Amino acid sequence: MNQHILSTYDDELKEVRSVVVRMGSLAAEQLADSMRALRELDTELAELTRVADKKLDALEVIAENTVVGVFARRAPVADDLREVVSALKMTTMIERIGDYAKNIARRTLEIADGKGVILMPQLLEQMSAEAHEMIQDVMDAYVKRSADDAVAVWERDDHLDNLYDSTYRQILARMMENPDQIAVWSHYLMIAKNLERIGDQATNVAEQVFYTINGEFLEDARQRRNAGD
Amino acid sequence: MLDMAEEKDLQSTVKPKVTLRDVHVHYGDVHAVNGIDLDLYSDKVTALIGPSGCGKSTLLRCLNRMNDTIPDCRVDGEILLDGKNIYDAKIDVVQLRARVGMVFQKPNPFPKSIYDNVAYGPRIHGIAADRTSLDEIVESSLEKAGLWQEVKDRLDDSGIALSGGQQQRLCIARAIAVSPEVILMDEPCSALDPIATAKVEALIDELSGRYAIVIVTHSMQQAARVSQKTVFFHLGEMIEQGDTTQIFTAPREERTRDYITGRFG
Repeated sequence: MNQHILSTYDDELKEVRSVVVRMGSLAAEQLADSMRALRELDTELAELTRVADKKLDALEVIAENTVVGVFARRAPVADDLREVVSALKMTTMIERIGDYAKNIARRTLEIADGKGVILMPQLLEQMSAEAHEMIQDVMDAYVKRSADDAVAVWERDDHLDNLYDSTYRQILARMMENPDQIAVWSHYLMIAKNLERIGDQATNVAEQVFYTINGEFLEDARQRRNAGD
Repeated sequence: MLDMAEEKDLQSTVKPKVTLRDVHVHYGDVHAVNGIDLDLYSDKVTALIGPSGCGKSTLLRCLNRMNDTIPDCRVDGEILLDGKNIYDAKIDVVQLRARVGMVFQKPNPFPKSIYDNVAYGPRIHGIAADRTSLDEIVESSLEKAGLWQEVKDRLDDSGIALSGGQQQRLCIARAIAVSPEVILMDEPCSALDPIATAKVEALIDELSGRYAIVIVTHSMQQAARVSQKTVFFHLGEMIEQGDTTQIFTAPREERTRDYITGRFG
């Protein structure tokens, strides 16, 4: 895409994009850390991850201020408008991903603290690997400006939802088998839900990336394609 | 907001007020406007945008034959007002200009009283039967132009004694006084401050249901604010036309995008 005649405008948009990307990688990192802490029941790491969420919150504030500045001074239109509107929405979505990771860390502390420690179910490992990859891939799609890659992430959400259903059933079965372990299993159940929600947020980010690039909502584009237009 | 444009779309009369078919304009050897096909509707404000020299003002001036006075200027193609070619030999140009009014970049009231400025058109076109009906036309035109409250007690003052924004609204009142069907505006706010601009834009909004309004503007934000349809010109060609919301959120053409976002193109 051609550069703006006002190069400072390009600098500001670059700054907006860079904050989004930094938030994306930070969120992916927090998810990975929280899951490692859970896997190893490493309370120190869990505590660090819980606190690290503040960095993400701070970046969200920076993104918001930068975007509001662009609106106030540049009156963005067309691609620029979509870029900043999407950035504003995406940072909120990514910040939520951070919140879910924080919640996993918090539950890890509870699990590690409880009696009769039970190691995490294997399915959670699969779920988190999938969610982590979705975050990374959607951020790659954003950086590469690839609508196709964004669609590919969007389509993967079904797989994560299916994994969640299996995990849910498995954990429910464990609860019935061992009623005395219900407290721990409910934490795992909530963690599974968190991972599923992270996938949803990554999907939302994918929709936003698609819109930024094409100026069209992903749902509309798919409906049009299905209608054979 | 999105749906103001859509709403206007739904209300749009099927028949265009003005139709341009393959319109070309030459100034001597210079091909200033190159094959324009465009429909203009009574219930829509259409904004013509594009860099200086793109032909948008030239095209606007074709719509009431303002280019007739330029010796080297040649207009080809068809411009139909209610289906009738305005370049037809039988067309009375004075009559045409009453139907297609124009407001210019710089407010140009006559050096006459406020009253006489507005009464001028109705007088020469013999629209008012007597003084009472002329008074009514002057009042209602100034009212529609949003100026009545400000000037009703000093109608005998000179039009050029008004502020720039008031002068421009006086010119709009003057255009309205002859009951036009189309109003052409050539950068009507470029000499006005933001408050006066806002008043003229509010007026455009107000008038937009009754007249086909075509506005040439260099302000992208103004085009976005006042129009329902936007047409982008570049080097004499029409590059893209569409619903204003669509043009300003997702233009289809790269040249449109580069222009409205301020990129090197």
